[in-house]
Amino acid sequence: MNPEFILGLVLLLGGTIASAFPVPRTYLNRLINLEIPAWGLLLLMLSYNEALALLTFGGVSALSVYIFIRVIQKKEASG
Amino acid sequence: MQEDWTAVNDIVVTVFGALVLAGALLTVVERDPYRKLISLGIMIGGAIPFIVDRGLLDVAIAVALIAPLSTLFILMVCRKGEQ
Amino acid sequence: MNPQDTALAACAVIAVYAAIRVALEPDTLRKLPFLNVLSFAVAGSIALILPHPLSLVAAAAYFVGTTLESNAIASTYAGGLDRRE
Repeated sequence: MNPEFILGLVLLLGGTIASAFPVPRTYLNRLINLEIPAWGLLLLMLSYNEALALLTFGGVSALSVYIFIRVIQKKEASG
Repeated sequence: MQEDWTAVNDIVVTVFGALVLAGALLTVVERDPYRKLISLGIMIGGAIPFIVDRGLLDVAIAVALIAPLSTLFILMVCRKGEQ
Repeated sequence: MNPQDTALAACAVIAVYAAIRVALEPDTLRKLPFLNVLSFAVAGSIALILPHPLSLVAAAAYFVGTTLESNAIASTYAGGLDRRE
């Protein structure tokens, strides 16, 4: 139970709840709150010393944020 | 030498763990998207020294260069009138 | 305490002070200089945690990335990019 593990668990649980029930219910707030469990999962992977998993997850996380941004832009353009 | 190393590690864990928790709490509490992004910057600044503390320096370089990209992507949706 | 530990402790204290100032600031545009101060302190402590030559590159990468992020937030908040539409 090193500090990274506990901190990652706290971020993962709290960020998931905050992303499921955002305070102003907009897509943008939901997406910004989704960054918190992503960093919590990164800290959890860090506590097991998985360097390749960290590199892959960092890249794929930024890519998935770009895809969600395109989805939100298309939904706002169509109404 | 061992005492010094644990002292340094203790400072790092306490201060940057507090920074991560404060940034996450502020991100949840704030309502304006710009203020949420600034608080997210606090959380990222607290999380990267943990990666450096483990000795994974190449991962730290890659994450420190990739993490602002997702903030830039989110900023493409934020507009001035929407706050 | 050797000088490296003292410098790391000073950087940590500056980081906590800047985080408190960012958290308690009511004006959004006035938060951004303190976010820059926080980034400088974190970059300095990244360079001071491990005595390894690659940690200087990591600190430089974090410095470049976070300065870009903070300037992008400030530019978008001031409406610099959406002026022509």
